[in-house]
Amino acid sequence: MLTQPAPASHAAAPPPSGHRLDMDGIRVRYGQSIAVENVTLSVEPGEILALLGPSGCGKTTLLRTVAGFIRPEAGQVLVDGAPVQHLPPGRRGVGIVFQSYALFPHMTAAENVAYGLEARRRPRAEIQRRVEAALAAVRMEAYAQRRPAALSGGQQQRVALARALAIEPAILLLDEPFAALDRALRLDLQMEIKRIQRRFGVTTVLVTHDQDEAMSMADRMAVMRSGRVEQVAAPATVYDAPASPFVAGFVGTSNRLHGRVEARQGAEYRIRLDVGASILLPGARGFAVGERVLVCARPEHLVLCDAAMETPESWPARLRLSLPIGPALVHDVEAGATEMKLHAARQGAPPPPGPVRVALLPTARPALFPAGDEA
Amino acid sequence: MHRFGASDRALALLLLALALLALLVLVGPVLIVLLTSFTTSQALRFPPPGLTLRWYAELFDPLRSAQIHKAAGNSLLVAACTALLSTALATGAALAIARSRAAWARFAEGAFLAPLVLPGIAFGLAALMFFSWLRQPPSFALLVAGHAMIATPFALRTVGASAAGLDPALLESSAILGASPWRGFRRVVLPLILPGLASGAFLAFISSLDNVPVSLFLSSAETDMLPIRLWGMMETALDVRVAAASGVLVAVAFLLLLVMDRAVGLVRRMAG
Repeated sequence: MLTQPAPASHAAAPPPSGHRLDMDGIRVRYGQSIAVENVTLSVEPGEILALLGPSGCGKTTLLRTVAGFIRPEAGQVLVDGAPVQHLPPGRRGVGIVFQSYALFPHMTAAENVAYGLEARRRPRAEIQRRVEAALAAVRMEAYAQRRPAALSGGQQQRVALARALAIEPAILLLDEPFAALDRALRLDLQMEIKRIQRRFGVTTVLVTHDQDEAMSMADRMAVMRSGRVEQVAAPATVYDAPASPFVAGFVGTSNRLHGRVEARQGAEYRIRLDVGASILLPGARGFAVGERVLVCARPEHLVLCDAAMETPESWPARLRLSLPIGPALVHDVEAGATEMKLHAARQGAPPPPGPVRVALLPTARPALFPAGDEA
Repeated sequence: MHRFGASDRALALLLLALALLALLVLVGPVLIVLLTSFTTSQALRFPPPGLTLRWYAELFDPLRSAQIHKAAGNSLLVAACTALLSTALATGAALAIARSRAAWARFAEGAFLAPLVLPGIAFGLAALMFFSWLRQPPSFALLVAGHAMIATPFALRTVGASAAGLDPALLESSAILGASPWRGFRRVVLPLILPGLASGAFLAFISSLDNVPVSLFLSSAETDMLPIRLWGMMETALDVRVAAASGVLVAVAFLLLLVMDRAVGLVRRMAG
């Protein structure tokens, strides 16, 4: 892939067939504490899978297990169906970009990229050709003779990516690669890396605690918590149909409304909310009448109504503050002890603080959980 | 802005006076020895009645100063071997200690630095008794081993500072790119800790070169060391060549220091 001459030819070339990565029942323990508990995940050829979760959830440990820096207590890592457990990191066909980039500070960009090829004892001419191709792929050919200290953070990241890709890895691992960059730079570099990843067709695992990054980069995301995977799905599915209250709260903003199942009406449940309203919701699982439930409503699921418009589906609340954020307006609302955030399109002047009513949009499908799932 | 009061000024003057006094005590004797080494007199006496280079000529005369030359050769060889051995030991220790957060690593670091505070005389005597208990006669190798014990902490300090600054991800990058541990050490670790290594070797060399207590116990007639020889010359006759030799040692150490500081910023490293 790297040896092809001009970037223009890549568009016409058939997408390279990537490699498949499987994590099968991985368990990692540090002393007494379990860092990763029985994780089974598959990454399809050419796909970007994001491992998303708060710090300490085990996502970096899982990545380092795939790289071979950590030996799991149980389970296997398989590349194209073959176990790589017995192989050292350098022979697993894995490339990695660290959060710190870990470029060798005493070598130029070109020497950094050449390092893996020299370790593999490739002929000199081939090394030179592939270093040039890798630097060109990340658009850093003009900086080949610079040391890392003379490069910006974004440029260092691209050299680190070129170094990882130069050995033509089957699997690319990205460990919080954008965490050290300015927020303004991140989106540009995320798009750039995704473009390069697509072109090389390399199967990629991205570790991040930033849900926006996972959303924009990943084909699928695995949301992790306390060493376990809570949900694996496409980003839109995770957002629209979170598998647990934790996922609903970690990916996107979630308004938690407690209530009780009043009745079952076909595939839907009538729920009496504690804030004082009765709503009709479809539920994926079975709920018993009288059961306590938790509704996780997105900010865009809720609308602000006039305080005078009393309906059984809406509940009284108090508007505390409205903030214009780009094209949207975010309302900060409280109903008793329950705080809520609402998103609306910005039209005219924001409403004044004071008594209002809040209702669920008829088209909205907030996630419904048994109250016991909240932890 | 802060205005300096009378008491502030008094404190500043006091500190200045103390600094000058310290400088005088540190540099004064060296200057006196240097001046005395040029004396026209037959004895070590200050101030010199006149100046001449004859003691240096005599010191460098291969016939009249053969014993001094032999001792100097021994000392330089021991110092060079000590520098090599100490730096190698310190490098291994520093890398292992920097990589580990375990309690044993902190303990090992303390153990390696212990010779810094251990009285040299006590260690010299202990080493002699230990080696004779092992039925090992004094030898060049034992002398180097003894010096290395004393010199390793100096090397460990500078190499350790370099090793602690290494990002562990650098070695992991090297490994995942397919390089063997040896290749990673040679191509990544060694170039990055080289300044610390050079500083450490220099400090070990100097500390071995003027070591008296260990040499006193572990050297023999075969391995006569320069500081011991000079001390002997002082005891028997107030030989002015001792001052000339001191002058040479001071000049060599100072030149080496300048070179090392130019090359690797030694003074900054020792301060850190």
